[in-house]
Amino acid sequence: MSTEEQKATAFVGRLLDNPAIARYTPLQKEEQIIQFLNANSGQLAPTLQSNQFFPERSWTQILSILLNALMSRIDEELQKYLDQVFDRILNWDFVSFSSQNSAGVDACRDEVRTIVGELLERPDARRAFTGSFAAVYFGSARRYLDHIYSRRSYIHFELTKVQRLRMGKDQVQGLVDVSLLLKPVVHLLTTPGENPGAQGSGLIQPQYAENVVSHVRKKAPNLPEQALASAVHANMSFLDYGFVEATSRLASIFSARARNYAPGMKVDRGADSPDKSWLSIARRNYKFYGFDVKMLDELYSIAAENMW
Amino acid sequence: MRDKLVAILERIVVVAIILVLVQSFLEDLSQLLDWSWPTRRAILIGAFAFDLFFTIEFLSRFYFAFIAGRAGRYIFKERGWIDFVASIPLLLFSSGPLMIAIATGGAPLIGVGRVLNLLKVIKAIRIARILRLMRVLKIFQYIKHADSTMAQRHVSRITTLAVSIFVFVVFAASMVDVFVDLPGLDSDFRDGALGVAHFVDEEDLAAQDNRESLVRFAEHDSAILLVRDGAQTRYSRYSDEFYREYFGPADYTYVTSDDVGVFVDLRPLNRAQARESLLYFLLIVATIAGFLFIYGPHFAVTVSDPIHVMERGMNEHGYNLQARIPKKLAGDEVFRLASAYNHYFLPMKDRSEAGESAMSDLKMDDLSDFLDDREHKDSE
Repeated sequence: MSTEEQKATAFVGRLLDNPAIARYTPLQKEEQIIQFLNANSGQLAPTLQSNQFFPERSWTQILSILLNALMSRIDEELQKYLDQVFDRILNWDFVSFSSQNSAGVDACRDEVRTIVGELLERPDARRAFTGSFAAVYFGSARRYLDHIYSRRSYIHFELTKVQRLRMGKDQVQGLVDVSLLLKPVVHLLTTPGENPGAQGSGLIQPQYAENVVSHVRKKAPNLPEQALASAVHANMSFLDYGFVEATSRLASIFSARARNYAPGMKVDRGADSPDKSWLSIARRNYKFYGFDVKMLDELYSIAAENMW
Repeated sequence: MRDKLVAILERIVVVAIILVLVQSFLEDLSQLLDWSWPTRRAILIGAFAFDLFFTIEFLSRFYFAFIAGRAGRYIFKERGWIDFVASIPLLLFSSGPLMIAIATGGAPLIGVGRVLNLLKVIKAIRIARILRLMRVLKIFQYIKHADSTMAQRHVSRITTLAVSIFVFVVFAASMVDVFVDLPGLDSDFRDGALGVAHFVDEEDLAAQDNRESLVRFAEHDSAILLVRDGAQTRYSRYSDEFYREYFGPADYTYVTSDDVGVFVDLRPLNRAQARESLLYFLLIVATIAGFLFIYGPHFAVTVSDPIHVMERGMNEHGYNLQARIPKKLAGDEVFRLASAYNHYFLPMKDRSEAGESAMSDLKMDDLSDFLDDREHKDSE
């Protein structure tokens, strides 16, 4: 390791050890640090260009060195989280329900893990993966599905009668979680810096979705069709395309919600709870993001009841 | 160094205010419960010491404010008027005269014609003590009871207003009572004392019958403590030990004519005054507690908290918590504004920030020691 890399690692290590971001997932920490570096470049650049750090380097070069060190550290840390998600959090039983191939579960898990590894190598996909991963890691689907199944209201109807999922709540949760993890696959067909969907919302068109499905199908032959479609369609607007599955719609909402989710966040006195606030805003912006407003209404009601 | 000294002095002032409140309470309680004179004397000396301390404090603050050209600001904006009201008048009209009485060792010897004047002076002294209650406000200004400066100022102002109005109305009404004869305990007492005084003044006490009448009269008037004829005590309600143990200079007065002197008990008046003072004290403490613990939180919930949330939402990138709107208060201007913030501003902000990262929780200060440490190591 060169001296510069050592300095960059020490600098990044110092930021990662900050208690203010301890509660986040590694990818959220990465996003926090990138945001910090960009927001404070004016103050950081003169200091980091001094003799003690990276003399004779431009800020762009320094940023590149720091980001490499950061991603390297995050990748190391992330492996433990991914192991936990793939081996303990995710429920893969839905694979057996969706295909008759009993050996498919392990193969499917390995294929999804490989695709996730590929996504993490692409900065754009990495950013898109942040919310999805946080939603899975913090158990958004599990928290809400418990209430959705006890209420047996709109979302339950959409899952069981419209999408016709003949599986239990835990399997549906697994399907939603895998949809979340694979939602960023739409970035696999883009070049760096290119946006696969609309500016801001990131919504994609059906034709592009079909291309993605075909592309990923080759990489994950054991992944149930239902799960792949659910993951890719989670990037489409429900308002424009009514066929978007209920699991996709849920994945779309949970992914967006979890992007900046921080467990145990301190709520100001006089403010609504974080989930309730987010869902209320999402209800106002459902057209912009292509969310299913009735789903948002039900999730809002659950969040309000539970003070989430 | 100077700041440190000022901080130490401010702490001493806070401690003194707390102690003086305890002292004020004990002073009235000791009067009401007829504590022994040595105990009450210690409490009264304490009162004088505190009045002297707060007078010096006020004069120092005023002096430094004056030489800094901000005397007016100190008096009117920084509650200097409370410092004044709760110091100099008390020293001059309450604890000062009492200290002189304690130092000279007895009540003033007066002629009959001066009984009325004496009662007025005693009453004025007692009324001046009401101003002590303003000291509760002095401690109030040191309490940081809300995170919001607006809540702090509003609660502080309304509390000051309520307590000041209460104290000044009581003070003014009592002063009127000094100059206008109104029926009450004071007037009853005065009439009784005057009756004895006139008897002493007008009758020929050299006559045996009159002296015996005076003794019989004294036996039936509980205000009369002792009747002395020259060196001889004609009548005494209590023993000498009792007088020594329970009577101080402000507890009696002495009316004399020729060789005959009558000692009059002022304790019933003092007890009534102490009972009133305690009631006022408790009323003020309860008023302040009410503003602090009921009105303060109410103000926070209905005004400052939603404004704080909206202010953060407008200034901080990524802050998207809604202002909570209580159903019953939805029609309030603040909550109508909060509703617009929740329903229009936040969604618009969310759309404009779509795809952007949230603001980092990291701060440049978190890195300062790391950067300084590096710089230090390299310079070595």
